Amino acid sequence: MKQRIQQVFLILVLAWLGISAHADEPEPMLLSATAQGKNMDQAVFALGQAIVKHKYSFVRQQAIDARLVPYAEEVRSVRLVYFCEFAKMDRVLRLDPRGAQLMPCRVTLVETPAGVDLIAVNPAWITQNIPTLHGECQELKRDYQAILDEASQ
Amino acid sequence: MRRWTLIFLLAWCAPSQAEPVAVNKTGDMLQALDDLALAAANQDLSLVKMQPIDTALAKRGYENPHIRILFLGSASAVRWAEVVEPRLLNLLPLRLTLIQREGRVTVMSDDFEPWLREFPEDPAHQMLLAWRAELKAMLDDFMRQ
Repeated sequence: MKQRIQQVFLILVLAWLGISAHADEPEPMLLSATAQGKNMDQAVFALGQAIVKHKYSFVRQQAIDARLVPYAEEVRSVRLVYFCEFAKMDRVLRLDPRGAQLMPCRVTLVETPAGVDLIAVNPAWITQNIPTLHGECQELKRDYQAILDEASQ
Repeated sequence: MRRWTLIFLLAWCAPSQAEPVAVNKTGDMLQALDDLALAAANQDLSLVKMQPIDTALAKRGYENPHIRILFLGSASAVRWAEVVEPRLLNLLPLRLTLIQREGRVTVMSDDFEPWLREFPEDPAHQMLLAWRAELKAMLDDFMRQ
């Protein structure tokens, strides 16, 4: 009996070490993709299509300095696109109201000579120390990456 | 054996919690928004957008979470980030989350800690500290109203 308990304990420890090693893998801060050869309007359009295709809703787009400077002086090379999925939003807020800092989803588009970089803050990086949200945010991270990849095709 | 089981369980439950800057006071959402608008103006911050998560969810049949998000910032913060560390543009405009519960409104910033850890060197670190201090000053002002 004692030997059996020791075996079970050993299995639990090994399982825990395996999970811990996986959990300790550092999350990247940013997720990104590059839409080579596209201009800002084309990249925003492609991103909008990818958002809808992945069953998210487009919320709005704006310049990085919108409402901080007169419209005519807004930066044209950096735009923000916001989107969301209401069922996910509801689920995350029920888990932990700190999930509001992930809402709505956002992609920053930066025009470069080569095309447009699409950048998002990795939700799994933000919630590394918020265990209640981390699992949900792993899924959200996969959605983000799929949307970025699709929009950059 | 029991001792090892306890150590195992404690290690399992040990992860630290991240905490953003937060304040709360008596009142309702609309009053809090008015007070925040005034506090923002006092700190030379402009309101960019108010995102009504509460009504957006409620009108689609979900439970009303009584949460709104306020986006605010300044042109100088954007220009500063463009020069110092463009990756920090992802934090702009700055955000505050308002949560109404039982006659009180809690206002909290996004958590700056992961960003401060990721950018340990100046001038990016200093810029993050300045933004957090700006929000804290604004929330202190909000509490005084």
